[in-house]
Amino acid sequence: MAQEKVEIQITDAGAYRVLKPTGDLDVYTVGSLRDAIGRMIEEDTPHVVVDLDGVPFMDSSGLGALMGGVRRLREAGGDLAIACTREQHLKLFSITGFGEGVSISPTVEEAAAGFKA
Amino acid sequence: MQVSLRWKIVGGFGLLLLLIGLLGWVTLILFGSVRGVQRQVFDDAVPGLMTVDEIVRAYTAQSAAVRGFLIGNQPRLLDQYHREVEVAADRQRTAERLFRSPRERDLLTSLERAGASFHRLVDRRVVPLAQRGRRNRAFEVLSREGSDRIVTIENLARRLRQAQVVAVRRAEDDLRSASSEAVVTLIAVLVAALVVGALLVFFLPRRLVRNLSRLVDAARAVGRGHLEQRLDIHSGDEVEELARRFTEMQEGLERLQRLAVQERELEIAASIQANLVRRIDPSLPGASVYPVQRQANRVGGDWYDVDVSGRRLTVVVGDASGKGIGAALMATVALSVLRAERSLGAPPERIVQRTNQALAIAGDAGSFATLIYATLDLDDGSVRWLNMGHPAPFLLRGPHDRPEGYFVHGPRNRALGWFEEPGFAETSVRLRPGDSLVLFTDGFIEARSADDEAFGEDRLAEAILQLAPLGPDVLGEELIALVESFAAGKLDDDLTLLVVRFEGVRSEAPPTVSPSHDLSAGL
Repeated sequence: MAQEKVEIQITDAGAYRVLKPTGDLDVYTVGSLRDAIGRMIEEDTPHVVVDLDGVPFMDSSGLGALMGGVRRLREAGGDLAIACTREQHLKLFSITGFGEGVSISPTVEEAAAGFKA
Repeated sequence: MQVSLRWKIVGGFGLLLLLIGLLGWVTLILFGSVRGVQRQVFDDAVPGLMTVDEIVRAYTAQSAAVRGFLIGNQPRLLDQYHREVEVAADRQRTAERLFRSPRERDLLTSLERAGASFHRLVDRRVVPLAQRGRRNRAFEVLSREGSDRIVTIENLARRLRQAQVVAVRRAEDDLRSASSEAVVTLIAVLVAALVVGALLVFFLPRRLVRNLSRLVDAARAVGRGHLEQRLDIHSGDEVEELARRFTEMQEGLERLQRLAVQERELEIAASIQANLVRRIDPSLPGASVYPVQRQANRVGGDWYDVDVSGRRLTVVVGDASGKGIGAALMATVALSVLRAERSLGAPPERIVQRTNQALAIAGDAGSFATLIYATLDLDDGSVRWLNMGHPAPFLLRGPHDRPEGYFVHGPRNRALGWFEEPGFAETSVRLRPGDSLVLFTDGFIEARSADDEAFGEDRLAEAILQLAPLGPDVLGEELIALVESFAAGKLDDDLTLLVVRFEGVRSEAPPTVSPSHDLSAGL
């Protein structure tokens, strides 16, 4: 059963911020990620790297929230990139076509280098 | 202030008891005053008056006896004189006991002195003169000096009597004022007792009854289904507590009512979804379709559709992101658009593109759907599909008892709802008679065990090959049972699987589509 909460650690890396969720990203917890991305837009720091190394499980809701984040941040003049080494997430990105058009790299720095705007 | 009902009653009756005690105390004081005055009048004043009269009478009798003795020379009269002297002495001792005020004592002392002077006159001058034969001289002395002394005694006695009368009147006044005060106090205490009694008898039960009546009314309203009536009772006692708990109960019932409405809406949604999904009626020979579905909730994001047009069988399996009503609405949008476009005769690419556009408009930011849109040519067994971000289907072939198979990955396009151009690369394979294409949703590969291990593609492929000999009609159900057991009862995603079996070009068998094997509770 999915846990009810996900902890999201926010780090300021200068030109962008890093959101590092710890815990499952599913229908019960994606609200926290959506809220965190919303805060990035409000605080006018729309360049965000989401580090998925602390996320053992992600379902379609989590993927939907990431794509929602990509759209909102791009509308706000920024972008969302993903740092991920977990094979099952990478597979999910590949299956759904999420990875096409979004920077996905093994490290935060590499992901940030792929920002579109 | 919070005062419990118990303490209100105890306090009220306690106060009443206190007032009754006060009433008793005042009555006792009144009795005490009456007794005091009674004692003053009957024990002191009346005996005092009688004693004074007796003293006066004794002296008058002494004077008369001495005169008689002088006139008739009778010695017994002299003895009577002496007896009366004793009587006067005795009464004077009584008077000393009775008269205690300084004024009375002064008057009594003067009277005793006048008496003693009279006795000295009689004993030392009158009687010796008479004994010496000078009776006339003795009479003269008695008349002149003795009468003065008797008159003095009478005057003093009168003044003593007056003093007694004054004392009695004063006692009467004291009694009157004490009794008026007592009556005032009695009335005040009585009124207070009546007021407290009335409060206890009238107001306490009335207020209690009124508040309880309001509770009863509110309970009746709840019985009729009106939960909005709120009680506003501030009696500070158990009734207020009861009203508070009652309000909490009403709020709980309101929450339950809202849940019931939501449940009913969910039921309607489930029924709509069930009707949409189950409309399968292919009527061409050459293929069989075996769908199974297990939904985690009343409504879900998984759906499938089967349609036959000419010699072409279309099978679609889809999965909308998220869970519950939101996912179900996305699924319904996708299915409706697919069917509408197909009924207009549009090619698969266009149908999928329209669905993509509809989902982009209908979904919130980020929500999406994946699907496989497959078309099987019943004449030659060729099957082509568009995979829109969906798990690859599994091709099952080979002899019945030793099946073989693999996932047909092929080119993949993007999930629907995200991009304007999701891509429309096609995958195609040619089915041989007896081959099956197994289409499924991600619930199968994403199911997790208690140790958080995913079921995964490899385990699914192995399970399909192992269970295939049981027949395409039970394969889906067996796979669902296996995944449920793997997830140890904690499966929270939908599972949908379709086995599309190509029977063969020359097959004379009638077309078969088994009914949906629905393992979910509500659908």
